[in-house]
Parts: sequence; structure tokens; C-alpha cells
Amino acid sequence: MAYIITISLLIGIIIGFLLPINIPSTYVSYLSVAILAALDSVFGGIRASFEEKFDNLIFLSGFFGNIILAGGLAYIGDVLGVPIYLAAVFVFGSRLFSNFAYIRRYMIDKMRRK
Amino acid sequence: MKKNIYISMILVSLVLGIMLSTQFKIVKKSGVTVQRAEELAAQLKQLQNEKDALLKQINELETKINTYEEAASKSSVITQALKSDVEKYKQLAGLTDVQGPGVIVTINDSKQAVPPGQDPNLFLVHDEDLLRVVNELRAAGAEAISLNDQRLIATSEIRCVGPTVNVNSVRFAAPYVIKAIGDPDTLEAALKLKGGVVDTLATWGIEVNIKKSDKIIIKKYDGVIKFRYAKPLIEGENK
Repeated sequence: MAYIITISLLIGIIIGFLLPINIPSTYVSYLSVAILAALDSVFGGIRASFEEKFDNLIFLSGFFGNIILAGGLAYIGDVLGVPIYLAAVFVFGSRLFSNFAYIRRYMIDKMRRK
Repeated sequence: MKKNIYISMILVSLVLGIMLSTQFKIVKKSGVTVQRAEELAAQLKQLQNEKDALLKQINELETKINTYEEAASKSSVITQALKSDVEKYKQLAGLTDVQGPGVIVTINDSKQAVPPGQDPNLFLVHDEDLLRVVNELRAAGAEAISLNDQRLIATSEIRCVGPTVNVNSVRFAAPYVIKAIGDPDTLEAALKLKGGVVDTLATWGIEVNIKKSDKIIIKKYDGVIKFRYAKPLIEGENK
């Protein structure tokens, strides 16, 4: 599992560097929030797979839904003049840490049991 | 089931990787690092010091030239005539301090609170505003104009550089003091025209203060005027 994620992540990074994708610098903040959302989804997926509750549809819809929602919220916040993206940063950030804590505990448990 | 997990994980990781590297590329490309900014600031400061020293040198040399001219003009009628010609052209070019009646226009940024949603830039003094004031003064027959004691001559620029305005390559921030020598009443009337410059600026709360004075001293242009590309066209040549 970990290998698959790492390798495909690396391939993705390489593709990203090779492809001439250019986003105007005004949209950088939206992309960064979207990245946070995506990271959160990936960690959530790993956690779910440890719990053996992994559901493909939930995972994929969560991934793309969170990205769109986070980017959209950041955009709406910019339009309204309220930094709504902070809400996304806060929620996804704290969930990221809690998910990571869960994964860590699970792995340590598994190692001890061996 | 297990296969599906892998496929979606691969897909998601790929997308995440592409997003990460795109973001990384953009962040790396845009923006000057703090270190670079500091370096440039230090360089700028050093050059400014050098410039100040050179200006001092120019002033010293100019007084020397003046004493030589003075001495030469006493020797004969021709040199005396030449000297008065030089004086005349210097005055036309803005190379002598001049005095006379005129107006002093002080322009300052708006003190109004910027209403939310409004562009705060509209409440600041811009190069365009200054140019319009200067243009109006010139149209009203101003004979000598200076902006914050920088004499405006044929090659002078008034240009926004970040939050400041460059005049004769010297940076200024608000308030801007424009001195103009000419008929004080005409100059004032030209600025205060209904729908004119002052009227427009007042809409944004920009403070414009016009003071008439009988004696205004406008300093000379203290830079160097040098034509590097323009050459005089002598009649009968290059036709």
C-alpha cells in the first residue's frame, strides 16, 4: 500500500514538473488550499484502509469534492473579502494530524504484535 | 474490491503529485526571496550614497565654472555678451534659480476612511494626478514649475514607482508641493475650474491646497542634461 502511494505520488510529481501547466499567481492560494484538502483525503483513505472500512466511492468523491469545495470556498472568501480559506486550512489541518496520529498508532500496534 | 482501492489510490496520488509539483513550480517562480530583496536594498543604498557624493561634486564644479565665467566675462565685450547669452539659455533650460509671483500647490493623500470594497488606490495621489496639475499649470502659462523642489525641465518625468513618485529620478512620497511661477490669479483659476483637476481630486478626498504668493523661489535643476543620441541637425546636411 505504502509503496503504491509513494511511487504514484512520485510519478505524479514528475508529470507535474514535465507538463507545462501554468496557473496565474492570483490562483495560487486556491491551489494550496486544494492541495491541503487532497492531502487530507489521502490520509483519510489510508486510515480507512487500516480500519478496513475503505469505500471506493466515498474516497473518490471525498477527494474531488473536498478539492473543489476548498478551492471554491477560498474563491468565494476572496470575493466577499472574508478569509474563508482559513476555515478550510483549520479543518483539513486538524484532520490531517488526527488521521496521522491514528495511522501511527495502528502501525505501532501492528509492529508490537509481531 | 482490493484492486479498486489500489486503482483509486494510484489515481488520487497521481493527481496530488501533479498539484504539488505545479504549486511548487509556481511558488518557486513567483516572488523574490527575502535574501535577494535585502541584497538589492543594500545595493540601492550604496548607489544612493554614491549618487549623493557625485551630486555634491557637481555642485562644487558648477560654482567653479561660474567663477571662471565671471572672470572671463570681465575681460572683453564679446565674452560679456556670451556670458549674458549663456545666462539667458540657462534660465530657459531651468538651470538657474528663479523667483517671482506664483502659486504653491500642496497635494496630500486622502484622509477619508476607505469604504469597504472600494479600491484604496483611488484615495492616494498618483503620478497621473500630479501630471494633470502640472499640465494645467503649464496651460495657464506657468514659466517655472518645481515638484518638491525638483525643477521640472524638458526631460523631467513624473512617474509612480510603487507607493512613491519619481521626479528627475528622485523619489518622493506624499505630500507633494508644486511651486509654479506665473500670474497667480490665472494659475489658481486654472486649477479651480469647475470640473477641473482640483474638483476631480476632491471627489476622492485628496487634499489640494492652493496658496498664492508674491515671491516664490524655484531652485534650478541639479542633474546633468546630456544628449547621448540626439544630435543637432545642421541645415543643408543629411537631406
